[in-house]
Amino acid sequence: MSLLTPELLRRLEQFQLLAARRAKSSAKGERRSRARGQSVEFADYRNYVAGDDLRYLDWNLFGRLEKLFLKLYEEERELPVRIFLDCSESMNFGVPRKFDFARQVAAAIGYVALCGFDRVSIVPFPNEGENVTTAGALRAVRGRKSSLQFFQDITRLTCGGGANFNEALRRGALEARQAGVAIVLTDFLDPTGYDKGLNALVGRGFQVNAVQILSPDELAPGTYGDLKLVDSETGTIQEVTFGKYRMNAYQQTVQNFIQKLREFCSSRGISFFSVNSATKLEDLLLKQLRASEVWA
Amino acid sequence: MNFLAPAAFAFAAAIPIVIVFYLLKRKRVIKLISSTLLWQRFLAETQANAPFQRLRHNWLLILQILLLLLAVFALSRPYFTGTAKSSRLRVLILDASASMQATDEKPSRFEKARTEALKWVDSLKDEDQMVVLVAAANTEVKQSATSDKGALRRAIESCRATDSPTRLREAFQLAETLVKNQAERDNPEIHLFSDGAIPNLGEFENKNLPLIYHRIGERANNLGIASLDVRANPDNQAQRAIFTSIVNPSTNQQSADIELRFGNDIVETKTVVVPGTNTFPMAFVASQPRDGIFTVRLTGNDDLAADNQASIVSILPRPVKALLVTRGNRILEKAIRPVPNVELTVVSVLTDDAPGYDVVILDDVTPVVWPKGNVFAIHVIATNLFTEVSKVDMPAIVDWKNTHPLLRFVSFDNVFINESLAVKPPTWGVSLVDSTQTPLLIAGEIDRKRVVWLGFDTLQSRWPYFISFPIFIQNVMEWLNPASGSASQLTIKAGEPFRLSLAEAVGSAQITTPDGAVKNLSLEKNTRELVFGDTTKQGIYKLHAGTNDLSFCVNLMDAAESDIRPREELPIGKFGAGIAATRLQRANMELWRWIALAGLAVLLFEWWYYHRRTA
Repeated sequence: MSLLTPELLRRLEQFQLLAARRAKSSAKGERRSRARGQSVEFADYRNYVAGDDLRYLDWNLFGRLEKLFLKLYEEERELPVRIFLDCSESMNFGVPRKFDFARQVAAAIGYVALCGFDRVSIVPFPNEGENVTTAGALRAVRGRKSSLQFFQDITRLTCGGGANFNEALRRGALEARQAGVAIVLTDFLDPTGYDKGLNALVGRGFQVNAVQILSPDELAPGTYGDLKLVDSETGTIQEVTFGKYRMNAYQQTVQNFIQKLREFCSSRGISFFSVNSATKLEDLLLKQLRASEVWA
Repeated sequence: MNFLAPAAFAFAAAIPIVIVFYLLKRKRVIKLISSTLLWQRFLAETQANAPFQRLRHNWLLILQILLLLLAVFALSRPYFTGTAKSSRLRVLILDASASMQATDEKPSRFEKARTEALKWVDSLKDEDQMVVLVAAANTEVKQSATSDKGALRRAIESCRATDSPTRLREAFQLAETLVKNQAERDNPEIHLFSDGAIPNLGEFENKNLPLIYHRIGERANNLGIASLDVRANPDNQAQRAIFTSIVNPSTNQQSADIELRFGNDIVETKTVVVPGTNTFPMAFVASQPRDGIFTVRLTGNDDLAADNQASIVSILPRPVKALLVTRGNRILEKAIRPVPNVELTVVSVLTDDAPGYDVVILDDVTPVVWPKGNVFAIHVIATNLFTEVSKVDMPAIVDWKNTHPLLRFVSFDNVFINESLAVKPPTWGVSLVDSTQTPLLIAGEIDRKRVVWLGFDTLQSRWPYFISFPIFIQNVMEWLNPASGSASQLTIKAGEPFRLSLAEAVGSAQITTPDGAVKNLSLEKNTRELVFGDTTKQGIYKLHAGTNDLSFCVNLMDAAESDIRPREELPIGKFGAGIAATRLQRANMELWRWIALAGLAVLLFEWWYYHRRTA
């Protein structure tokens, strides 16, 4: 399956992930950081002390003041981008499949990051089965030349089993050596909730972007009558009598859920997007993410 | 506890249907979905966690309220007062005459009338009363005034149509009495369910009876036998001539086969074509070996079957012993002698009651003892005949009844009378010839013996010079012949009682009716006369009483009854106006049945709607 069209890839190349915070990575990259180092961007002056590299003395200043000052430049560091991808069974539903949509978003964000010479890690959860090796390959990918392998690895990911969202995010936050940008791609339909996981990411210092992917059938069910609904992950059975007359009430429930999630995110500085898996990928990537300055 | 409509319990049959609906298990469709999280939230939000919720627009709720309203509405038993006025007393008169058996209404006019009458019973209000009368030859009170619908229904359902002609006089008199006793404000009404084939009811004209006439019937497709008579063939005394007439009341020409039977043997069959609204006379000639019954039957297919058959008892003529008591009347004697089967004896004085003679002719001679046989009394004053006798000179004849057998082919034109006895019309007979002052000829029965009384001496008139005189004498001899008398006794009209004089008293008698039923009559001791009243069905009845075994015939033979045209109005309205057939709807039509039906429909719709919505 082709994750992204060449046309889209070409458009994505023009973007760069925006990071509100200075990069904290120790590895060199193309992101401005608080660290002083060698780059073309002037940062500050400091008094010369013996042993400093004479190449960085500001001789013009010495001429005027007859004091030695050393010019300091900003060190450019890389930006770690962690993409949390929900691979649970619930993502296996919907037409088009929610998981397919999530992988496309992950690939697009990852490609933008790779083009920006940032380090990209994809964290699938639950991490089990075949995904374990793939997840290893998807850890800390760098550079545009790795993009082809990156896409292939993403395509290999499968979804199944039950996920523990909070645990996966908490673990992911702890594992990261440096905080960076975190993209969370999930449906947020976890019975244990989502607040602990997101809190853990925010607390670790990540700049979190959450994308909720729901299938059209979840937004407006097309099955009516006396139903016995079985939860794909937990096996919970829910009996419900549903008809067109309750559609409005159901949609109101979904909107309430999304609104609550949105309020939670905005109170913690998390950019939140809720998309239908049937929406056009370009619409999300080129308009919504750009409008909310995930990238520019 | 009583129920006005016990039939409503039949609705209980609907209960199992409802139960079956609920027995149907709701089969849930199993569906695997990504997560039940949203559904749990949805159910938590929509299900009531408070006892009350805001009332939402829900069609099911509206339907259920509608259903409840309908049920309450039905239980309140509303009704329309209709176009009929409310009436505290209704007298229902069902015409049960022969014409009501016509099958132009299905299944018959009488059944239609019964159905209509039952509708009026249904619409009866609790405090109103109804009377049911059945009018045929006699009027029967089937149910006196009551509000009990069950009793009224039973009364109407027990009514049967008869083969007898309509005699509404009695019914109207009875109804009039009932209605008169009611206060004016109660609006008493008389409802007549009839086809209107009713003889003259002149005495009820201008009485302003509150009569409502429900016309039953559609057309007049009928051929009927209107008369039947048998007598010796004038051309050949050894044979019998059977005269009959067929009436066609419809405006179309009709034809039918007519067959003559003697006993069970077919004698002759003819085809008869009767023009519209005409009566067609027919004659058969047949030899008759013994006493028996001639039956005429129409084999056409018309609406009324009761008038398609008539029977008559024919008794062979026997020699009659006649005694002429006269002071000398050659003309009379000459007129009597040629009459067939008469053995005439002439005397001038009668001292005893003339035993051994069948007929006694008293020509201006008053006997010491009244003769035992039939009597032809000419110019005789006898105390057993009249209470008061005077004389009148030159009475002018103004009218005579030439329909009577005595005056058949007899005319009184140019007959002048010098002097006559003047009497008042007696109770035992009918006047056949009338002058301005007195009846001149009276025929009747006294002690079951026939009497013909002529008020004037034939020699004191010009009558003996006319041809009508010997014809009259022949008629008299025939009419006074005991055989013809007994034969005519054995042929009666439907609804009339059958009477028979018995030679000796018998304790009981059996009568077999035309439909084969056997009725036992118990007679009182020393009763010399047998009377049987249940002659509503036409046909041949068989009687067995002691040593007597005989048959008698009951016929409709009524041209007015054969005329089954439904009449648009009855000729008894005020100032000569007719009472038109009504289109009146029955009053107080109860609605609860329809409401209940509507409720059922709403219930079914609700059920369908619920399932359609969740499907």
